[in-house]
Amino acid sequence: MATAISRAARVERALERATKADGHISNDAGRELRICAGTACHASGRLAIKKAIADELERHGLSDQVAIVETGCHGFCQQGPIVVIRPQGIFYPQLKPRDIPRVIEKSVLGDEVAEDLLYRDPVSGDPVALEAEIPFYALQRRLVLALNGKIDPHSIRDYIAHGGYRALAKVLAEGDPEAVIDLVDASGLRGRGGAGFPAARKWRFTRATQAERKFLICNADEGDPGAFMDRSVLEGNPHSVIEGMLIGAFAIGATDGYVYVRHEYPFAVERLRIALDQAREQGLLGPNILDSGFDFDIRVNQGAGAFVCGEETALLASIEGHRGMPRPRPPYPAVSGLWGYPTNTNNVETWANVPWIVNNGTEAYDAMGTGTAKGTKIFSLTGKVTNGGLVEVPMGATLRRVIFDIGGGMLPGRHFKAVQLGGPSGGCLPERLLDTPIDFESLIASGSMMGSGGMVVVDDTTCMVDFARYFLKFTSEESCGKCVPCRVGSARMLEILDRICAGQGEPTDLDRLQTMADDVIEGSLCALGGTAPNPVLTTLRYFRDEYEAHVLEHRCPAKVCRPLIRYTVDADACTGCHVCFGACPVNAISGERKQAHVINQKLCTKCDTCRQVCTFDAIDVDTGVLAVAEGRAS
Amino acid sequence: MASGNGKPLAEPKGSQLYEVLKGIDFERRELIGKPRSAGLFDLVKDGGRYRCYACTLCERTCPADCIEIDYCPEYPELSWDTGAELAAVSAAQPEIDMKPFDAVVARLRDGYGLIEAFHTTQETYGYLPRQVLESIAAELSLPLSRVYGVATFYTQFRLKPVGKYVIDVCMGTACHVAGAPLIVEAFSQELGIPIGETTADRLFTLQTVNCVGACALAPVVRVGDDDTHGRMTPNTARKLVRQLCKREEA
Repeated sequence: MATAISRAARVERALERATKADGHISNDAGRELRICAGTACHASGRLAIKKAIADELERHGLSDQVAIVETGCHGFCQQGPIVVIRPQGIFYPQLKPRDIPRVIEKSVLGDEVAEDLLYRDPVSGDPVALEAEIPFYALQRRLVLALNGKIDPHSIRDYIAHGGYRALAKVLAEGDPEAVIDLVDASGLRGRGGAGFPAARKWRFTRATQAERKFLICNADEGDPGAFMDRSVLEGNPHSVIEGMLIGAFAIGATDGYVYVRHEYPFAVERLRIALDQAREQGLLGPNILDSGFDFDIRVNQGAGAFVCGEETALLASIEGHRGMPRPRPPYPAVSGLWGYPTNTNNVETWANVPWIVNNGTEAYDAMGTGTAKGTKIFSLTGKVTNGGLVEVPMGATLRRVIFDIGGGMLPGRHFKAVQLGGPSGGCLPERLLDTPIDFESLIASGSMMGSGGMVVVDDTTCMVDFARYFLKFTSEESCGKCVPCRVGSARMLEILDRICAGQGEPTDLDRLQTMADDVIEGSLCALGGTAPNPVLTTLRYFRDEYEAHVLEHRCPAKVCRPLIRYTVDADACTGCHVCFGACPVNAISGERKQAHVINQKLCTKCDTCRQVCTFDAIDVDTGVLAVAEGRAS
Repeated sequence: MASGNGKPLAEPKGSQLYEVLKGIDFERRELIGKPRSAGLFDLVKDGGRYRCYACTLCERTCPADCIEIDYCPEYPELSWDTGAELAAVSAAQPEIDMKPFDAVVARLRDGYGLIEAFHTTQETYGYLPRQVLESIAAELSLPLSRVYGVATFYTQFRLKPVGKYVIDVCMGTACHVAGAPLIVEAFSQELGIPIGETTADRLFTLQTVNCVGACALAPVVRVGDDDTHGRMTPNTARKLVRQLCKREEA
């Protein structure tokens, strides 16, 4: 017992030392300007905003009284660049450098708001000043993302000041790995990477295998196009992932860790490396962590643009320096993984959940979610939705709540058509399934899957056949080539879809797609091939009428498939302003100024430029047998 | 004889292949008894071009280790077997400075795999020069083919030098539904090159990327590492190219 007490005291002392690290501490009650430094806000100009703010504060002589904090992703990416002003918590979206003087004058020097710059509710049009009151945030339950947008991801001190590494200290002080696994088991935490395998069961397998080395991997190879949850967590709060991995490593008895992260996420890689260095400096990583005698270190390995490397065994092959090809299981990685040693892999979000569970206990975690799925799930809500971004909701929330209540519904004048979950492995669900609760089993039953959390909303301007073709093209290109059904089958299915989109489909093609999809699922080794036909199967199931329109009527209802559509000028609406004439890249438009223009169907490549530049809505797109016949004849 | 997972292979009735396999001692790598069907190896050609795309699967799975695939970037135009032509390929490669290669070796000796070594190489040279791949192969005592096989598996590695401006058009789902195919086409038209190619003046390389994770700004285009443009249209794509051209002229 004496050693246990002294061990706890040693850990406590070591954590106390770490709190004295250099770096900023964010404070909700302090005078701070928080600039979102996530990828999307960066792309919409946060550097210019930061400079404008710094200049303006300097001008008012406030540079040392008001702190500028570059936080991680706030999640409301559609509204970037985002600045939040503390202590009031005023939220300014879509700022331009020229707005900054007014923002500073009103909300930093004074205690007012620049009303015209505030976020406006898409339905009522009323301005909302406070971040906490915006429905997008107010309706979420942020657990993993709690500190995203609040703390400086470059400062370990900030993380520790907000309760960071407490969970690790607790676990190390108690010194009982089995108890940690029991705790995670009781919480019901399931892997957030897609399959939803219970985390604790995996840990237990790896712990039970005897070996002199054991590896622990964080899968941050977020390959699903349209998903960026892991990127945001790594960018906004890298230490939470590191802490989760450390707790997992202690429970499993792992000696070495890897984070396998996409090379396409430069900020995530950079911030993760900085965080690892800081953790090492503070004795939270490396030998004798927090003076407890526990050794563990983490390396960063970058992917190189191969979707299949998100698959566990392919990921291991990639770290070892091979082509990322999956291998059959057994042996399971828990028995023989990286270089033949027992290896445990979980994804970013799973690891980031672990410290929360240790800190708050299983009951609090259990209170969120459904019978089989506990806790929260982050989704990246994108596509044709008003308020896209990162949404964290308790498991069991309905799709409608996420898309319409939090996401603000469809863009003005557009109608919801489908939501695509789970990326290329998932499926498209129609409007009548919007009340499906989000949990692993309900989504599988609908033909889709939870996946890693991509949620792409499409409206009536998206052709579901083309959409399915997009995903199949993706998976057929990303197929590693090992299994013939996946390599050849997906390519053959793609040929059929190409044909249908070109208006050359045959009525038997739909049944052929169905049969081939079943074969590909049946004959593939890994989940890539095993789920690749899902987008086709779900669109066939829920949007068969669109396939039939393409095949039987040579018509693309959404007016997307280019061989089936035709661009014409509405002579009544055209004012002859000549804008489209100048914009057409292939000179297919002719006409005198102030007279209706004409599109030459032979030259037109249907690039959509004229329709986009026309301010009089005078470019018509039509589809159908007649359009095709005329298009070919002229 | 056993398959990969240790179970004996079921004997297919009347299969000639099985007869042949039975005649090979894989441990000693020699034929037992009469060579019934040693045959001659050749690659299948389709319209004058080899169908093989050097996936290296045969090389990796060959139980007798008798296949070695060599690196040959200008592949379809060249035949494989003449040493002189291979030497010509080598000679045609631009001279490169091998000094930064030390960093790559350091990475490898630090226990990182080939992928990380390639990243270091590409950060230095902008692509993976043949000379470096050969040196990596020598460092790791691997056949060059193995190194080449890994390099070609991952879409981010390039075997040819790139232009000054690398244009990455995001092809993520959100970008796709927002019209990314039209954006790529506009770039391709304006630059006069297909995807994956570099303009003759070495100014532009046009590439696609699976997703940059900035979906709220779809469709997204990235120029170089850090210059991201959101909410593109075919028209702004063309303007962007013209802008960059103008910057070059100035």
